[in-house]
Amino acid sequence: MTVHLYLSLVPEALIASMLTPEQFGAYYAVGSEKKSHGQAIFFELDPDYRNDDLPIEAGLSRCVPHEDGEPKRSVYISVYRALEHISLDAIKKLYLVTQDGRVLGLDPSTELPAEEAGLHLYQEIAPVHPLVVSTLPPHEFYDLIVNSPASLLTLPAVCFVELRLGELAENPEYGAVGDLPYANIDHLRQCLVDLRTKTVSTKMVDRISPASFPYRTIKSGIFVGNKEQFLYFPLPSRDELRAKQYRWWRSANM
Amino acid sequence: MAETTWLIIGIVCGLISIGFAVRLYFWVLKQDPGTEQAKKVASWIRQGAISYLKKLYRALLMLALVMAVLIAIVFGMGPEGPSHGFQMALAFLSGAFLSSIAGYMGMTIAVEANVRSATAAEKGLSPAFNVAFKAGAVLGLAMIGIGVVGMSTIYLLTGKAQIVLGFSFGASMLALLAKAGGGIYTKTADIAADLVGKVEVGIPEDDPRNPAVIADNVGDNVGDVAGMGADIFDSYVASAVAVMLLGTAISADLGAQYIIFPLILCTLGIISSLIGIQLVRVKPDGKPGVALNNGTIFTCLIFAVLASAFVLIFKYNIGVLWATLAGLVTGVVIGFTSDFFTGDDRPPVVETARVSGSGAAITIITGYSYGLISIVPSIIGIVIATLVSYYLAEAAGLSGVYGVGISAVGMLAVTGMIVSADAYGPIVDNARGIAEMAGMSQKVVETADILDAAGNTAKAITKGFAIGAAALTVLALFAAFASEMAAEGVQIKLSLLDPMVIAGVFLGAMTPPLFSALTMLSVTHNAFDMIEEIREQFRKDPGILAGTSEPDYNTCVTLAAQGALTSLILPAFLAILLPLIVGFVMGPEALGAFLGGAIFTGIIFALLMANAGGLWDNAKKYIESGFFGGKGSEAHKAGVVGDTVGDPFKDTAGPSLNTLITVMSLVSSLFAPIIAVFHLF
Repeated sequence: MTVHLYLSLVPEALIASMLTPEQFGAYYAVGSEKKSHGQAIFFELDPDYRNDDLPIEAGLSRCVPHEDGEPKRSVYISVYRALEHISLDAIKKLYLVTQDGRVLGLDPSTELPAEEAGLHLYQEIAPVHPLVVSTLPPHEFYDLIVNSPASLLTLPAVCFVELRLGELAENPEYGAVGDLPYANIDHLRQCLVDLRTKTVSTKMVDRISPASFPYRTIKSGIFVGNKEQFLYFPLPSRDELRAKQYRWWRSANM
Repeated sequence: MAETTWLIIGIVCGLISIGFAVRLYFWVLKQDPGTEQAKKVASWIRQGAISYLKKLYRALLMLALVMAVLIAIVFGMGPEGPSHGFQMALAFLSGAFLSSIAGYMGMTIAVEANVRSATAAEKGLSPAFNVAFKAGAVLGLAMIGIGVVGMSTIYLLTGKAQIVLGFSFGASMLALLAKAGGGIYTKTADIAADLVGKVEVGIPEDDPRNPAVIADNVGDNVGDVAGMGADIFDSYVASAVAVMLLGTAISADLGAQYIIFPLILCTLGIISSLIGIQLVRVKPDGKPGVALNNGTIFTCLIFAVLASAFVLIFKYNIGVLWATLAGLVTGVVIGFTSDFFTGDDRPPVVETARVSGSGAAITIITGYSYGLISIVPSIIGIVIATLVSYYLAEAAGLSGVYGVGISAVGMLAVTGMIVSADAYGPIVDNARGIAEMAGMSQKVVETADILDAAGNTAKAITKGFAIGAAALTVLALFAAFASEMAAEGVQIKLSLLDPMVIAGVFLGAMTPPLFSALTMLSVTHNAFDMIEEIREQFRKDPGILAGTSEPDYNTCVTLAAQGALTSLILPAFLAILLPLIVGFVMGPEALGAFLGGAIFTGIIFALLMANAGGLWDNAKKYIESGFFGGKGSEAHKAGVVGDTVGDPFKDTAGPSLNTLITVMSLVSSLFAPIIAVFHLF
């Protein structure tokens, strides 16, 4: 049985597993006894990737089939500061798993999303997960967090998603909320207004925001970057998802 | 023309209607049943539905036989001798049997049409609509045909309207069991499937991994096809019988043609429905909801023209025409005002959805309040129809209460079209479920969504119509009860200064809330058992959620069926025994007051529950369609709570109340001659 290497983002962890990405996603979301349910996001890594700060070899050596021949589902190699030690070259694919275990694989894109006017809403996924609004487009937001020498707060690596703001992006005071499911929408409006009236480029909306979020709110895709590289995993359009990935789309839209 | 000729014409038209229903039945069966997977899913639903019907009819057979023996003994002891008792028992059994046949035909074709409609959706909206609507028309046409053939034949053979009352009681008995049982079944499965599926394990609706998904789909059929069909059939027959009894009282002065006039109206209604159903068409890019509503309006117009022509050509008293038209217009108005309070983008639904952002409590309060307000237009409609038909009939030289009865028949004459549109709803709902479970194409699911939305509107209109019709029917039955008592020398004069009357009013007013509570508690009790079963299946076999092994659908189907039938015993006895206890113990006037109290609270509760439930359901759907935060928002969570509370309101307790008050009125009228003689006080 092939051993795979996965980098989970919710929670941040490096995991070895004998399950394929689809099997692992379903297992990770609902458990082997299928008693739990919860969203999962993870990268599939090159199984040959090694890093001195992570005991990958030791983990892989423990990832052997059970006595009854069943594949080993998960061996946790690291549950802390994993993302910062992974070279982005090792990332093969990103997987978004719905709460009932439907798995969608996304390939990285060489092109960044087209820049649009208006404000932005970012949900940081790892290593910390606040909800932040910003005047900066995704690439500049990543630069601010990871590469800005002037910033007091920097992270060695970050994974985040840009969420839809709808009419609020252009008109935070009076724009229609529509189908934006965010809690405490008045506070979100105020934070967006502050970006325009105060000299700040980012503002924290929720410091204890859960890292999970409705996939239908993803604006363009998921971003991951460290000091060396920045990758973008675009989510296909709604029409394409409905047409080609109906089961996942339906589950994601519950 | 002689009355006998009209009765024979009625029987012929009824047989033609049944013939059309049979023709459509086989036309639907000839349509493509689709892929192997689709056929497999449809067969699970079919087996579940047929198995429930068999259990229901077995229970009914036992009850009907016991009741028939009692009726034969009790009525056989009267001055008309044993043959009267035998005729009454036979009429009772015929009513129950023929009503069962109509329900069985409707159900069997609905569970064949669902998969065929889904398969036809591959070709487009129009073919899919055609299959679903024609299958719905099988129930509509079979029901009115069987009703008219049954009533006309019994009257032709016996010449006694009271024997036809026995037929109506048989039909109502089945309707009570079918409606209340179907309502308990469908909501038990729906709530259990949603609570464990969506909330606990987080799988979407109509997901084949959910062990209760088949029971849920079966429930749509037993609740909305067999249940609602039986409910309207019950009102259809009861209103005609009530007017026949009132016509008997005035026949000495005005002639026997007024006894059979309701049957003539029903015959004209058959002709109108046959034409109206042919006119229901939807273009490839058309709107199915508009096609259904236009069909209803065309049928009403055709009926109005035919009834007017008939009354004028055969020189009937013009008062019957005004009463007929008043009932017809009121039926349409009540149906469409129900749509105002429950329609997708109407102000009450939008407002309830908007306030849901503040939590479930506000959703409940707002929806409940609009449900209370929704009573107003329907009650005003009933009041206007009652007063207009009463006074116009009086002004034309007829009995006022006869006019009220005729307005009920006028409203129900287009039942064929109404039931066709109603039965279409669960068929397309099932079609959508099958498309999901069988993994059919996105085009099919989207087409089924459009058809389903139209079905929900048709369902809301039908519910309003059914409640309005039941209200006028029970008013006519109440008059028939008083007329039966008068025939035995007991004049019913209700004075609120009489303690027996006050006691009767209170006991009657108490009954619909008690009945509602019993049926809704049955839902929660049975749902609890099913939830345990679903959890157990998920625990024992993790492969179910992984999608590698198949759940045991049959256990959930059996649990829902057994639970529904067991839960029916107490409410059914309540409906039959309470009026008899009040009548035999407290006397005729207390029984009259009891019926009055039950009718008033019954109608109010039925309107409130049906409309509030529909409103909560659509408020949730409105949020899901992308307003006030959409799915996953706080408003959506509150909307889901409102919808769950509303489910047993709108599909179990609310619609069953029509049948409850009809059954209690029929029992009272049927036993009136005996209660007039034997009572304790």
